[in-house]
Amino acid sequence: MYYIDLAVTGVSFGCMYAMMSVGLTLVYGLLRILHVAHAAVFALGAYVVVLVANATGSIALGFLAAVIVTPLFGIAIYRLLYEPLLRYRPDVPMIASVGLLVLMQDAFRIMFGEQGVTFRQNALSFTTFDFHGVTISAVQIALIVTAAVVFAGLHLFTTRTRTGLGWRATVSRPKIAASFGVDPVKVRYLNFAIGSALAAVAGGLVALLNNLVDPSIGFVVSYKALAIIVLGGLGSVRGTLVASLVLGLVEAYGTIFIGAWLDRDAIAFLALIVLLMIRPQGFTGARTA
Amino acid sequence: MLKLDHLSCGYGAVEAVRDVTLDVPAGSIFALLGPNGAGKTSTIMAVMGHVDIHGGRILLDGKDITRRRAVDRVDLGIAVVPEGRQLFSDLTVDENLTVGGYAHPHMRDAAKRERVFSYFPRLAERRSQLSGSLSGGEQQMLAIGRALMAEPRLLLVDELSLGLMPKMVDLCLGALMQLKRDGITIVLVEQNTERALDVADNVCVMSSGVQIYQGTGSEAKAAGSLFATFLGMNQPGRS
Repeated sequence: MYYIDLAVTGVSFGCMYAMMSVGLTLVYGLLRILHVAHAAVFALGAYVVVLVANATGSIALGFLAAVIVTPLFGIAIYRLLYEPLLRYRPDVPMIASVGLLVLMQDAFRIMFGEQGVTFRQNALSFTTFDFHGVTISAVQIALIVTAAVVFAGLHLFTTRTRTGLGWRATVSRPKIAASFGVDPVKVRYLNFAIGSALAAVAGGLVALLNNLVDPSIGFVVSYKALAIIVLGGLGSVRGTLVASLVLGLVEAYGTIFIGAWLDRDAIAFLALIVLLMIRPQGFTGARTA
Repeated sequence: MLKLDHLSCGYGAVEAVRDVTLDVPAGSIFALLGPNGAGKTSTIMAVMGHVDIHGGRILLDGKDITRRRAVDRVDLGIAVVPEGRQLFSDLTVDENLTVGGYAHPHMRDAAKRERVFSYFPRLAERRSQLSGSLSGGEQQMLAIGRALMAEPRLLLVDELSLGLMPKMVDLCLGALMQLKRDGITIVLVEQNTERALDVADNVCVMSSGVQIYQGTGSEAKAAGSLFATFLGMNQPGRS
């Protein structure tokens, strides 16, 4: 049963990584920018969830506020930070992105304190279910269900709707897509809005899981997300999903075998380094940056 | 229908086309010929709004469209079959066609799709296949089909024959002739001079960014040997 518990833990963390990373890989696919500040969007989502939940007493309202605020914030990052820098080499917007991440982290620290914010009421965090000896927490279920719904929705959106097809066409051939009337600027807005909303949901769920939002919440996740999108084959949503789940599972099982010597995050990065050495082109290998 | 008036354009400060003046009559096929690097593709991309205009004007039905945004030009009735097809390779055949008709959502979508399939029945068999997995000829058919979904009045075709088997070139040129009969004006960029002269009503030859010859298709055909000497490019089998 212990091994199944670990699988559940691994998959739920994998789902969280996937929701966080997909926005990064989408931005890379479209603009060839490493959107490091995505971690700040993740943290912003977590803060909005906890602050609104504490103010209103409703966690659902917290998530609603987060998926409204963060897309606007993501669009603002594109419009005010990246767009003016697009004509320079791609490392210029990346450095600006790192700057924004550091700025946001300090802003969170100054505004909400070093020790972070906890939920006043967080029944979810302490609710667990027992399935024939396998213990699953409510937040883990929420992570897995949310990710399943989100990715199924994203799949339908990008294969069944005109806008979604225009989006994929733009990622594939921006100029030609524009020549058929797909506005590249609108696609970028859409891209940042959706990626940011997903990161915010992931951030909110991590906040529930830890029952804490502190200024560094986005930090470790952001390193992992960068490695995940490389492993997933930069720009590929499917590859990012696979890489996220693999990382979640390796982390979970790694803790029982070498957890005595290495911290959970250290195991994750060790695994990522090894995987990247074996497959530098990523799992899919189709796209080279 | 399409007029280029002393057009100079390029990429950044690099000038790819210098002082080109053309007049493409409505309902005709206009061939733009010349060797690699002559500025043919840049000329087409200028009409699509994808290169920097350094001087001159682009007129469509007498209206100046030089400064129109690329994304708005499809509404003017311009569509492109770009060099190297440039399909959305991880989209299926059907999805490529949907994006082709993006500017006119749902408008006669099914009828337009049927029209594409009537030109190219092979595409109907491949509807749900990824376009990147099609053969070269099928990809060219899809590139033409995708452009037709935009319901163009002016179709810009860049390097139709490049990398295609002669039979496939026949099929695609046949489709262009049919489209011309349907009233669509076509600008055809080609390196394969002979095949282009078979269908062209008017011809312009470019070299190193400037136009060096202009005339009707039959005049150009008569001057075929002249072409051979200064372009050295109408030997059969050369694409």
